[in-house]
Parts: sequence; structure tokens; C-alpha cells
Amino acid sequence: MISDLTQRIFHLKYLKFYLISTLFGLLALLPLLIRGPFYSHILIMIFLHAAAAASWNLIGGYAGQLSLGHAAFYGIGAYTSTLLFVQWGISPWLGMLVGGGVAAVVAGLFSFPCFKLRGPFFTLATIAFGEVVRILAIYFRGLTRGAIGITIPFRPGIENLMFHGKMAYCYFALVTMMTVFFVSFLIERSRFGYYLVALRGDEDAAQALGVNTTMCKLMAMMLSAFFTAICGTFAAQYVLFIEPISEFSIDRSILFALISIIGGIGTAAGPIIGSFILTPLQEFLRAWLGGQYQGLHIFIYGCILIAVVMLLPEGVIVWVRTFVKRITYYVNIS
Amino acid sequence: MMLLQAQKITKRFGGLMALKEVDLQIERGEIIGLIGPNGAGKTTLFNVISGFYFPSSGNILFEGRDITSLRAYQTCRLGIARTFQIVKPFGNMTVLQNVMVGNFCRMRSTREVKKEAFEILDLAGLSGKENELAKSLTLPDRKRLELAKALATKPKFLLLDEVNAGLNPTEISQVLNILRKVRDEWGVTLLVIEHLMTVIMNLSERIVVLSYGEKIAEGTPEEVSTNQKVIEAYLGEEDEE
Repeated sequence: MISDLTQRIFHLKYLKFYLISTLFGLLALLPLLIRGPFYSHILIMIFLHAAAAASWNLIGGYAGQLSLGHAAFYGIGAYTSTLLFVQWGISPWLGMLVGGGVAAVVAGLFSFPCFKLRGPFFTLATIAFGEVVRILAIYFRGLTRGAIGITIPFRPGIENLMFHGKMAYCYFALVTMMTVFFVSFLIERSRFGYYLVALRGDEDAAQALGVNTTMCKLMAMMLSAFFTAICGTFAAQYVLFIEPISEFSIDRSILFALISIIGGIGTAAGPIIGSFILTPLQEFLRAWLGGQYQGLHIFIYGCILIAVVMLLPEGVIVWVRTFVKRITYYVNIS
Repeated sequence: MMLLQAQKITKRFGGLMALKEVDLQIERGEIIGLIGPNGAGKTTLFNVISGFYFPSSGNILFEGRDITSLRAYQTCRLGIARTFQIVKPFGNMTVLQNVMVGNFCRMRSTREVKKEAFEILDLAGLSGKENELAKSLTLPDRKRLELAKALATKPKFLLLDEVNAGLNPTEISQVLNILRKVRDEWGVTLLVIEHLMTVIMNLSERIVVLSYGEKIAEGTPEEVSTNQKVIEAYLGEEDEE
């Protein structure tokens, strides 16, 4: 009787669900356990980068359209909510959604003609797009205040999405990350998700099976831009200062892609795993070595990236999967 | 009403005439062979019918409806499925997932799609391999998968581009059994490109012959195999002495 019940509870089908809920439970406790603003900051950046990378993963991972222009959407999110707040006092909560909408529309307009380009040519177009948006943001000084940037006045309160201390930011970033994770998780199991993975494999073959590949890519791109912009708004509310060169920098686009690739491209958990590796690595290396030897932290960071890509070309998630398989194996024999 | 009517299909690639005013009429439930020497335009005709290319002139009616300007995903939804001569599996998906992509053409629920996909795999002789990655399959299995994917879209009209190439005689007879079963039980109409003459003579009820983009003969296997133009197209003209 009892063994029958345990067998049913520990059924393979649910095990993944249990693991994921336990992990998220532990993640929710993490902000309470961590002491000191430096570590809290790292945790916020981990969650934020994971959310942005997971958004990138919708188009770059599942659909295989390698975009290196996502900083544009991030910047659009940051600028839209900030300008609405600074100029008209509109709450960043609303600004966040408006920013997401603007980013999605821009993404649609830009990518619709560009989806005719395949492989590296699409990537080149996204790089150009990101650069153009950055230059426009510097150029239109009347709207964006150009390279000087905008300082967001600190008026703490839930309605302004600004808080004293880092705890609230931590949880907000965690919720954003979990939202994008669950959206990816649901897409992965839906018709839309199957279509995206199929068109990544072979666009002609997908079309022959009734997949409107352009429409699927467009939807994935717009969804991806929407969530990336939300991450941008959050970052602006956290740092309280935005300026075009860092908001729209290609380094940021590369970081989002890199986190997904290191973690496991085209998987829901990959970007989260990737962010837990890369973000702390970057921050710690910078903190330890940045002051003493100029550029050494970037050198070591690069070496570690090369090593990971060579050893685990399909991402760290491969390790995690074998680990989970081993657990299910032991659960089954016991 | 004819299932498919292609009227004066011409397709130019720059200066090359890949198809010259090809007419094709296909009845529901027929099995038609499409043969011709290399470069005769067989695959181009497939691409035009299935919506991968638009014809330079001429039009195509499917069940009385003009599909000339429809794209591939639209013709598929109307019931025209095709396989590719160079098979195109989705490498990073499992065999089951590959077939499911086809099933999603007719329904939305992932659970039902999975159930139907298993039936298709069973029909195509791929049972037991559903969890293998498509890129790890052997050539005969890839050919089976290509057929299974097309069948999963529940077509009325199926275009098969050399599904038997590279298979041994046992495997070929398995494929032919599947094709006959699909025609008899589902009422699917078949247009088959094939280089193996024994297969095409055996399977098809009617044969259309293309040469240099033109239809040079049409008829039963016996008529076509004794047709002077066809023999010339394959073996070259006899020297006049």
C-alpha cells in the first residue's frame, strides 16, 4: 500500500515538477539568507540577466534566429518607462507595459523584412539594428537628453517601483525571471513551441508541414522583445540612471545570448543556469581583479567561456539533465 | 470534379525553362507516376504544385479552387503534402516530435497530437524508435520518417519525391505496402516521382513523362513503356544511317 503510494507520488512524470518547485522555493529564500549589499546586488543581477536571457531565448534559442540586437529592446523599455515617469509622472508599472508594447511593435516592424535573411545574415541585420537605435538615442537629444543620460528622481514607493534597500528589488527580479521561465515552459509544450523548434531545424520542411514560419518567427520575436523591454524598465528603476551608450551597447546583446548559450540554448532552464554561472563570475572577477590588473578579469572570463563552450557545446544543462536522470534512476530502484 | 488540374504550367529560372506549358489532370484516388531523365523538371513541378515556387505562367486548381499563388504552408493546410528528395528531418527533435509537428496541422491539443503521432509511427514502421533523435537515424529510417511526417498532416493529395531511393528490395516493398494502404484506406491520391522502373510500373495506374520541362507522354505503364518518344528521351535517338 505505502510503496504503491510513494511510487505514485514519486512518479517520473511529477519528479521534474517537484524538482523545479523545490528549486524555486530555495531561490525565494535566497534573498533572506544573503547578507550585505554586494551579494544582494549580485543576486539581483543574476535574476535580471536570467530573465533577459530567457526572453532572448524565445527567438534566439527556440526559433534559432540568433539576434545580437536585443539591447535595443532593453533600452527601449528603459527609456519608455523613464521618459513617461520623468516627463509626465506616469507610474513605471504602466510605463513598463507601454515600453514592452513599443519594443514589440518595433521588433515586429524591424524583423518582418529581415526574416527573409537566414543564418548569419539575420544576425548581421540585428547588429546593425541595435547600433542604429543606439545612435538615434544619442542623436535625438530633445527627447532622450542624448549622451548625458537621465537621472530618475528617487521617490520610493510601490507605485513608483522604487524601494529602499535591495530586498524588494530582489523579489521583483525573481518574479520577472519566473514569469519568463513559465512562459517558455508553456510555449515549449504547445503547438507554437513545436513549430519554433521545427523551423529552427529546417524552414522548408516546416513549411511543408503547414507551418507559417514567418508568422511564428514574428510572434516569437515580439514576445521576446516585450519581455526584454520589461527587464530594461526594471534595470532603470534599480540603477535610477540611464544613458544610451550602456543601455543600447552590443555587449549587453552579446551577454544575453551568451548566458543562454552557456546554460543551454532552446531550453526553459538553460538561461537561468547560464546566468547563475556567468553573472557572478563576471561580478566577482571584476571585484577581485578589476582594480589591480587592468583587463585581467576580462581575460580570465574569456578563457572560462572558451573552456565551457569546448567542453559542453550544448550547454551546462546537459550536466543538469544527467544529474536529474541519475536521481530518477535511484528513486525508481529504491 | 478533378482533384488537381494544372493548366499550362511554365516555370523559368532566368533563361532556363524548367517547365514548358505542362498540363496535368489528376482524379481523386489515383496513383500516378511521374518519370523523366535527370533535370526533366519533376521536382520543379512538385515545388510549383506545393507552393514552394510560383509558376511563371499557368494556374493550378485543387478541388476546383485556385491555389496558384498560395504558399507551401497554405497548400498543406488544404491537404497537399509532400516529401523531399533529400530528406529534411528536424535533427534536434525526436522521431515522435518530428511527426507531431505534422499532426499539429490538423489539431491543437498536445495530448491528442501525441496519440495520433504514435499511430502514424506505427503505420510507417517506426514503432520503438519514437524517442530517438532524428539526426541519429539510419537512411531507411529517415526515409520512413519523411513519409510519416507528410502522412501526419492528413493529406488528400500526397507528392512523393523518390521515397524509395537508397532502400533495399525488402524495404521498398514495405514502403509500397504503406502507400497502397494509405490510398485504399484513407483515399489519398498519390503523385510519385521514382527512378526505379520496376517500382513505378508496378505501383502506378497512370504515368506522366517529362523531358526537358515538357510533358512528352502520358498513359498506362504499358503504353508509356512502348512509347517511342519516351524511349528516345531515356536512351537517345537512334542514328539515321
